[in-house]
Amino acid sequence: MPPLPLQSDWAFVVGNLDLLLVGTGVTVALTAASILLGFLLGFPAGAVEVYGRGPLKRAVETAGVVLRGTPLLVIIILLFFGLSVSSSAFVTATIALGLRSAAYQSQIFRGALQSVDEGQLEAARAVGMGRLQAIRSVVVPQALRRSVPGFQNEFTIVLKDTSIAIVIGLGELLTVGQNLYQGGQSTAALEIFLTVSLIYFVLTFVTNRSLDYVDDHFSIPGGERA
Amino acid sequence: MSDPLLELDDVYKSYGEEQVLSGVSFEMDAGDVDVVIGPSGSGKSTMLRCVNRLTEINGGAIYLNGECVTDADTDVNELRKQVGMVFQDFNLFAHLTALGNVTLGLRKVRGIDKAAAQEQGYEHLEQVGLLDQADSYPAELSGGQKQRVGIARALAMDPKLLLFDEPTSALDPELVGEVVEVMRDLAAEGITMLVVSHEMGFARSAASDIIFLDDGEIVEHGPPEQLFENPQAARTGEFLSRLETTHEGE
Ligand SMILES: Nc1ncnc2c1ncn2[C@@H]1O[C@H](COP(=O)(O)OP(=O)(O)OP(=O)(O)O)[C@@H](O)[C@H]1O
Ligand SMILES: [Mg+2]
Repeated sequence: MPPLPLQSDWAFVVGNLDLLLVGTGVTVALTAASILLGFLLGFPAGAVEVYGRGPLKRAVETAGVVLRGTPLLVIIILLFFGLSVSSSAFVTATIALGLRSAAYQSQIFRGALQSVDEGQLEAARAVGMGRLQAIRSVVVPQALRRSVPGFQNEFTIVLKDTSIAIVIGLGELLTVGQNLYQGGQSTAALEIFLTVSLIYFVLTFVTNRSLDYVDDHFSIPGGERA
Repeated sequence: MSDPLLELDDVYKSYGEEQVLSGVSFEMDAGDVDVVIGPSGSGKSTMLRCVNRLTEINGGAIYLNGECVTDADTDVNELRKQVGMVFQDFNLFAHLTALGNVTLGLRKVRGIDKAAAQEQGYEHLEQVGLLDQADSYPAELSGGQKQRVGIARALAMDPKLLLFDEPTSALDPELVGEVVEVMRDLAAEGITMLVVSHEMGFARSAASDIIFLDDGEIVEHGPPEQLFENPQAARTGEFLSRLETTHEGE
């Protein structure tokens, strides 16, 4: 007698949990790498938009507009199949997600830098600090705190969008799920993709909670939350 | 004969078409406390900001200890180490404690190590009566306390001259006294101060000279007794009587 279909489908998922966890690992690594790249490019870009001038500022602004105006799917396909920036799907996906995230992170930081009132910068200059020094010691620490909520949002978006790397065959979480299903070994489509969804949910939930903690931890006593 | 501590020599400043300072000249000796009064928009803040070059002048010159500080090749950061400023809106660094506000300049500008900077910071907080609030953040302080931290922050750099731009006008009336008291102490200690303020009690008791600025020009400049009791220019008298009526209700 064949086992009940429901049982067998969940059993299939459980049996392949190790593969799904490997995919989850790739998703987490891709998220981390992309967010990091996005920060390394996006923070200076935001600062250039606020404090820069001339061609550099215009170039940064234009790059941002272009990146924000292009679908991520297009960016990743263009980089991988069109420009072949790297033979590694992981590297290509990191660049695509990182660039796109930089374009959004730059706006988070731009707004945060602009929200610190001018008077504090002036007071720092008045004690004899150079402009760069004053920005670094007075404006940036406050702007970083104020970026946390926007950053939290960006983090979850990147995390979920790593699934787009499926189109270049990177073995991240969704790809693993898809392979399990298409391998033809199972009819467990619903069970597999529900499990995949649940894992994404747990990841975003944990990320959000961690950043809530960061927000609280770095908030300024008596004042606004971070 | 030694140079005056501060000298403004025929200073002009305009914003576009608008002439804000039109040939301002005066001198201060070390230990002087000069109080600048004048109507809103007369150029008082602009004049102060020209002294530490938060604003650049268009004509004339400013000298500190006989040295011209408005040359193009003057190091503005060097100048600002010698000239402290206290702002109307305090402008405290919101992410730092009172002690952090006072020590930031010592550490970043003077390059003093943390422990030594803190030691000096505590001294200056004590000077303004806020030793017990050293670990409080600006948002946890009252307006009067914030301004006293602002004063301590300026004092910490050991400036030759302190500029005050309406230090009490953002304060609730009951908090003005504590700030004026600190300023009086500083005046008594011989610290040179150029103060924009309409706090008449302070002006009468602590000022060496009163400077009445109107429409970008110094209309009258003299010791408080003379300027308040026996103003020479009609405009001074008018302004003072208006000031009295507006301040009566407070
Ligand atoms: N950065 C600026 N750009 C353009 N105009 C300015 C600037 N700063 C000041 N002004 C103008 O210069 C004039 C003098 O301003 P200032 O702030 O020096 O006056 P004030 O005497 O300090 O007035 P208040 O008592 O209101 O503080 C005003 O008409 C003001 O609009
Ligand atoms: Mg003013």
